[in-house]
Amino acid sequence: MSIGTLALELLLMPLVAFVVGLAMVLMLRRIGARIQRRVGPPLLQPLYDVVKLYGKQTQISHGIVHDIGIVMAVGGYIAAETLLPVPGMDGIAAKGGLITLVYVLMVPMLGLALGVGQCANPNGSIGISRALTAMLAYDIPFVIVVFGISWHYGTTDLTRIIALQQAAGPAGWGAAEMPLLAIAGLIALHASLGKQPFEIYVAPAEIATGPMVEMGGKYLGGLFVMQCFQLYTASVLYTTLFLGGGENWILFLLKIFAVVAIPMTLAYLFPRYRTEDLVRLLWKWPVLIGLVGLALVMR
Amino acid sequence: MTALDNLLLLALLTVLLLLAGRRLSSLGWYLTILFGAQFAGLLMMGALGYGAPPVPSSLHIGVMGQVMQWRFDALSWLFALITVGAGLTSSWYLAGDWGRHYRQRGGNLWLLQLALAVNVFSMLLLLASGDLLSLFIGWELVSWSAFLLMALNGADAMRAALRYITYAMAGAMAMMAGLGLVLHTAGSLQYADLAAAVPTLSSPQLWGLILLFGMGFGVKMGLLPLHLWQARAYSETPGPGASFLGAVSTRMGLWGLILVLVQLVGLVPIADLAIPYTFLDARELLMWVAALTIILPTYTALRQNDARMLLAWHGIGQGGYMLLGVLMGDAMGSAGGLMHAFNYATYQAPLFMAVYAVRYRTGTSDLNRLGGLVTRMPLSFLVMLVGIIGLAGLPPMNGFVSKWLIYRGLINDGQPLLFIAAVVGTFGTILSVYKLIHNTFLGQLRLEHVEVREAPWSMTVPMLLLSAVVFVTGYLPGLVLDWVAAAQQAVGLPVLVHTLGGVESPLGSLDMIWVSSLMFAGFGIGALLFYAGGNRSKAVHQLDNYAGGHFLSADVRYQYSDHFYAGLMRHIGPLYRNSFQWLEGALGTTVETLGAAMRAFYRQHHPAIYLLAVTTAGLIWVIL
Repeated sequence: MSIGTLALELLLMPLVAFVVGLAMVLMLRRIGARIQRRVGPPLLQPLYDVVKLYGKQTQISHGIVHDIGIVMAVGGYIAAETLLPVPGMDGIAAKGGLITLVYVLMVPMLGLALGVGQCANPNGSIGISRALTAMLAYDIPFVIVVFGISWHYGTTDLTRIIALQQAAGPAGWGAAEMPLLAIAGLIALHASLGKQPFEIYVAPAEIATGPMVEMGGKYLGGLFVMQCFQLYTASVLYTTLFLGGGENWILFLLKIFAVVAIPMTLAYLFPRYRTEDLVRLLWKWPVLIGLVGLALVMR
Repeated sequence: MTALDNLLLLALLTVLLLLAGRRLSSLGWYLTILFGAQFAGLLMMGALGYGAPPVPSSLHIGVMGQVMQWRFDALSWLFALITVGAGLTSSWYLAGDWGRHYRQRGGNLWLLQLALAVNVFSMLLLLASGDLLSLFIGWELVSWSAFLLMALNGADAMRAALRYITYAMAGAMAMMAGLGLVLHTAGSLQYADLAAAVPTLSSPQLWGLILLFGMGFGVKMGLLPLHLWQARAYSETPGPGASFLGAVSTRMGLWGLILVLVQLVGLVPIADLAIPYTFLDARELLMWVAALTIILPTYTALRQNDARMLLAWHGIGQGGYMLLGVLMGDAMGSAGGLMHAFNYATYQAPLFMAVYAVRYRTGTSDLNRLGGLVTRMPLSFLVMLVGIIGLAGLPPMNGFVSKWLIYRGLINDGQPLLFIAAVVGTFGTILSVYKLIHNTFLGQLRLEHVEVREAPWSMTVPMLLLSAVVFVTGYLPGLVLDWVAAAQQAVGLPVLVHTLGGVESPLGSLDMIWVSSLMFAGFGIGALLFYAGGNRSKAVHQLDNYAGGHFLSADVRYQYSDHFYAGLMRHIGPLYRNSFQWLEGALGTTVETLGAAMRAFYRQHHPAIYLLAVTTAGLIWVIL
């Protein structure tokens, strides 16, 4: 591959991620609205929101780490997108692989945590403490999935994992060959999004939106962008591991939207879990299902 | 005179100069320069790190038919590099303001410096040992010199140091028994003779060897359940001493385990020792010990409220990764384990230094009495940030690369539960180190810390230097992997094929040059979006905050620090049962009871009757 093509891919991959992520935010809001029998926002609302937040006149900083935290949160995801292969573009996926991606994805989280920390608001710190606890909860089933996938395909290279699945057709997709791991992975990935019912770290009525409490203007805008990336990344990763990646862009988009939409439709019906209940739930069911799935994969 | 002779002589000279030069002003700087010279001496042997044959010492001593000799191979060289590097930066740190401050507060600076020099010398001597007798002597020297460093800081430190030395003596006894076993079975204490005798050993003998040496070295390494002494002893050691001990002292145990278990006995005979009625063999048993050593101390660290204790507990946990990696015995896993020893030293030392810089300025390392210091001590914050990213094993720092190799090794090896254990340890570390940096540097700045300034340059420069190493060896892991590959070759492990940026393999590659570069490119774009987009932001005072409609004033403590992971602890809190404390206490009580019984037997109650009984028995024995 020529340098020019690679550079173009590295630029395009985060850009596509952002645009698709905006559409996913819109979809989520509309799902929520329909469940509550509302109409929901118009097509370009997420974009308006970003523009509005960046365009605010008052921008309040609590110090340099606050700023850098936002930079890390957005920048970390921009880097992560180049590790995630999409139809026609592999970026540097072959140089990182699954384990690297999982750990690179923690860097924006760390950035957010640092930024919130400097705001000197205990509501924010409590939110981060809860978010990190939730991370500990959902990442344990997720690493079981990571191990199962790496073992089954004999590699952590995401491009090879996709190629192996596509060569075998839908019957050879991860979800067909490792259904239990696919279920555990879906629960873990959904929990990682921090949406209903796992959004105790935001809890507006209790800790005043937690990490967002001191965020306004482009700080909140940065977090909004981060959320777009997060939705996109989680769904593409799941599609890559279990749904054969994208044969072409249409199928790819269908798959990734479905990956977010289906659990979200169900999850909206559940009330919010407390932190310890969240830990208990995620360490019980997805871990159990994942371990049984792993045993079946390795037998 | 070989290069090794020169190095050992230089280390000895350093000790002698310290002994003689008690009254010299700026002794600390001389010590630093001498450590620098030792470092240069090590670099003269740099070819060892690239596969050159071992460097012998010209010194040989014959004792009771045994020849004692010394030599350096690639493994010794790698560990010596860590040792002298840690000694150099620690002595640099204490040479200026920290040392003066220590002396003003009544500490014996000279003794601290001497202890540091003695530690480095004894560790070099240990690493150079060429047979089991010189190994044992080196080992004892290392144990006692560590005690010297630990016992400097008053009554609490002495208590912790005594606890350490009790453990260390138990370990030494075990090792001595191991030597006896070797002498009995192999007929000599030479490495080569032991290695040659291993195939002829019966399983009980091999078990004995593994357990005795495992216990001897395991004490130093803080392997479960022999770990209880470590955290308290390290955290009570004065600043630079703690950073030195934390970075490298424990690794001597790892070095010993690699030498005996991997190089001399070999992992194959160990893996052939099945444990009856289980699915495990001896190697897997040790791997599980390593995995538990990762998890339990890491989650103990999560509960600490003193920054020093928190770091010291993590030190124990990180040792588990190294052993786990080495025991895998494949190219990737063992490279990960060896590399982790290097990486860990490069971030643990500056982390301790940063904590002590904060202590130097504020007088405390209590995580509930700090906060918001980033605005006052930005360089120390930077050092701690780089350090915790390394400790947590996140890219782009070097800790990620070694952990990646270990994870990859566990996947290759087909060890799902150990893999999960290793990752669970990493997550626990992330939680704990965030608490560390949050409670120290983020959040609300306390009123009494408003006037605090950055630590002086004599302290920040060595910290920043080490942080740079953490970053550079994370960006170009191939630099360290060269040395690691040479060490693998020296101990007979499969050698990792690597590139400057990491590993290339069909099983999954890692190229840190690309990954790190793109991360920074991402941050660059993120910064561009942030700083170029929207209006300039206006900095506000920390009390200009949302407080649910209340006004904040300077006397209001508005910080979340205590019981930081309350939700998690509500779930896992009941699992902390202090079982090992209980075990240690039970063992101590048993020994005390037995001792009291024995004392009562021969000293206190009715000595005449015992004397009569013993005499009668003796007479009967003589007559019959």
